[in-house]
Amino acid sequence: MRKFLVRSLLQIIPVLFLITLIVFILVHVTGDPVTLMLSDTATDEDRAILIQALGLDQPIHVQYFKFLANLFQGDFGTSFRYQEPALPIVLERMPASFELAIASMIVATVIAIPLGILSATKRNSFLDIFITGSAVLGKAMPSFWLGIMLILFFAVQMGALPVSGKGGLANLILPALTLGTGVAAEMTRLIRSSMLEILQQDYIRTARSKGMMERLVVYRHAFRNSLIPVVTIMALQTSHLIGGALITETVFSWPGMGNLLIQAVNQRDMSIVQAAVFVISLLVILSNLLADICYRLIDPRMKYN
Amino acid sequence: MKRFSWTSMALILSLTLAGCGGTPTSTPEPSQPKKEAEQTAPAPTESGKKVLTIASGNDIVSFDIHNHNNTSTEAVHINMYNYLVRKDAHQQTQPDLATSWSKIDDTTWEFKLRDDVKFHNGDPFTAADVKYTLERVANDNTLLEYGNYKQIKEVKVIDDHTVHILTHGPQPVLLNRLSRLGSGMLPSKYIQEKGFDEYLKNPVGTGPYKFKEWKRDDRLILERNDDYFGEKGKWDEVVFRAIPEDSTRVSELLTGGVDVAVNIPPTDLDRIKDNNSTYVLQGPTQRVMQLTMRMTDGTPTANPKVREAIEMAIDKQAIVDNILAGGGTITRTRVTPGNFGADPSLFGTSIYDPERAKQLLKEAGYGNGLEITMSSPSGRYLKDKETAELIQAFLGEVGIKVNLELMEWSKFNEMYRSKKMKEMFMIAYANSMFDGSLAFDRAHSEIAKGETDYNNPEVDKLLEEAEVNMNVPEREKQYHQIQQMVANDRPFIYLFQMSANYGASNRVQFEPRLDEMLPVDNIILKQ
Repeated sequence: MRKFLVRSLLQIIPVLFLITLIVFILVHVTGDPVTLMLSDTATDEDRAILIQALGLDQPIHVQYFKFLANLFQGDFGTSFRYQEPALPIVLERMPASFELAIASMIVATVIAIPLGILSATKRNSFLDIFITGSAVLGKAMPSFWLGIMLILFFAVQMGALPVSGKGGLANLILPALTLGTGVAAEMTRLIRSSMLEILQQDYIRTARSKGMMERLVVYRHAFRNSLIPVVTIMALQTSHLIGGALITETVFSWPGMGNLLIQAVNQRDMSIVQAAVFVISLLVILSNLLADICYRLIDPRMKYN
Repeated sequence: MKRFSWTSMALILSLTLAGCGGTPTSTPEPSQPKKEAEQTAPAPTESGKKVLTIASGNDIVSFDIHNHNNTSTEAVHINMYNYLVRKDAHQQTQPDLATSWSKIDDTTWEFKLRDDVKFHNGDPFTAADVKYTLERVANDNTLLEYGNYKQIKEVKVIDDHTVHILTHGPQPVLLNRLSRLGSGMLPSKYIQEKGFDEYLKNPVGTGPYKFKEWKRDDRLILERNDDYFGEKGKWDEVVFRAIPEDSTRVSELLTGGVDVAVNIPPTDLDRIKDNNSTYVLQGPTQRVMQLTMRMTDGTPTANPKVREAIEMAIDKQAIVDNILAGGGTITRTRVTPGNFGADPSLFGTSIYDPERAKQLLKEAGYGNGLEITMSSPSGRYLKDKETAELIQAFLGEVGIKVNLELMEWSKFNEMYRSKKMKEMFMIAYANSMFDGSLAFDRAHSEIAKGETDYNNPEVDKLLEEAEVNMNVPEREKQYHQIQQMVANDRPFIYLFQMSANYGASNRVQFEPRLDEMLPVDNIILKQ
């Protein structure tokens, strides 16, 4: 296990290095930040002064090595937009993203577990077709559309929930529903297929032949074992939810990392984009590692190598 | 089996706790949700507090008033800071922190300051603050507003309440510079003692509202400054919310979550109009959409008849009515009313005449048709793509085939900066100086070289003279002359002055301003 951990942690370094390189190049080739910082009426002289002041007149490889050198000290540069160090601004948003991700995961779990079990136990029934059909729909619906529809129905028409912003629990419901629906759809399908596979196993037949109640067979034997892949997916999805809620956070004005990243991309705020992508990538890598560890702990058949 | 279930439960629990555990540490007080609800719901009768909530598409960028050029940020700052002189709703200069001002000579201005002004932290406002504020932005070339203040040479402190501002040359627009973004007076003593970083965290100004809380990309909360030297603020608290998604911003207005929403897209105006408790407002802005014409020898648009035909072929009013839902005013000048030097005869008019346009093209030798390229940004301005496409259709009607190049802004800007545009490009310019000089900088042959290649020595001479002319009536006349010449020569074909769309709750009375500022005391609670 220790060998596995050390090897996995060492693998993170070149991956992160590659990510910084790709993000740096992409950010630099997709637009000129000075253009967006200066007003339309700025003169070429104003522009030249600012380019020099920001060090953007140096060759791109020199800029990258400077960026890397600073990165080792935790310095991602200064945000053009906020005129403050980029990393603390990104980290400041992490709790809000965590909050939304966890709430969405709870929503997804609460929806997916009963539906997945029902769908598997009532295989090929109308209910099964309805649930799997809904799961396909849930996965296919774009989050911005679903978010706007939920706002129109629950907030504008019914006036039951707040439209946007971060505040109390009520503010969390609609964004969590929006974000959780896609995950729920995926989890439902996964639980269903995992359950179906397990329900065919010999030990289930044995349990049934012993005269055990069907409910106990399903919940005690089948469901628990079917959760193995679900736990892994949950760990992976949580990291995606933290960093990947770009659209949902924007639709609901949720002040998380996704919203920050969208604004930073629009404004070509390179330091923020780099810091945010770095932090999100690190979170994804670490949670993948965590999922891997859990999987190995859960399933003794897995070898550490 | 047992091992799995406990491990999986532990994992689920730890993930949940990780999320729940992260949140309280970031939340300043446990009572936050209740507080938020009170702040968001504008119900003064319920909470006893008069709270105004305004939603815009962007958050403010910073409290460094010298290091941004963002109108929506200034619109908020205007409630926290004072200028030496300010512009009223009709863009007339009024005293603010300065009680009076006079020109000592062409490069020296004297300002007498109020002696009863205190910053939000209690420090008195003095001439030292004027010196610090203006010299900071005039000397530091890394600040984004440097270009607009580098004309200031020095600020001399005569006594605690008198300053002399020395400029590098005659500056007829100095008062305009001092009544805009970048001129808010900063607390020199506080910044010197605590440092600029601390100031950015806890900004201090002299205005009628003071800083309370800022949650980036979420909300900025200001509260009334009870020690304000002027008329006290009308609201106990003002919340500026950042809601980037248009549809969400409109929904917040419809549900009473906000009192005023800015930047409403034309497609959402009907939702606000149809709602019983909200209304729509449209106000002019400083932004004018125009076509910039290449007059380089050898290009078809070098022919004045072709340029005239292009202007005559475009039904500007149709663009305003059909694409912008009436949100604009057609114009033949960039110096719109409210700006120094505006020529009213060129505003609100059009020379639309497609038949005459066809005739002119024939006279220019293009009776069998003409093909030109037009570039336009897509997504930069409200309905820019649709506007460009309609222009393409109008020109097609008179026999000009337009190859339309729609570009993302950074690509467009790269071509624009390198002066690589072909016959025609569409762009909108604002005028933060409210002066004719800024409107015609690109008409001077030196700057026009490679872009329009417009070269009218008479215009050059007039521009150079007006730039430094301290005689106000004479200067105004010079800008009238320039406008007529430009309208006739057509290096630029002006299309329309853009309007800003606002939505407001019936409980408030709100009047949009030309400068798009949001002085909250002009938003009145209807009883």
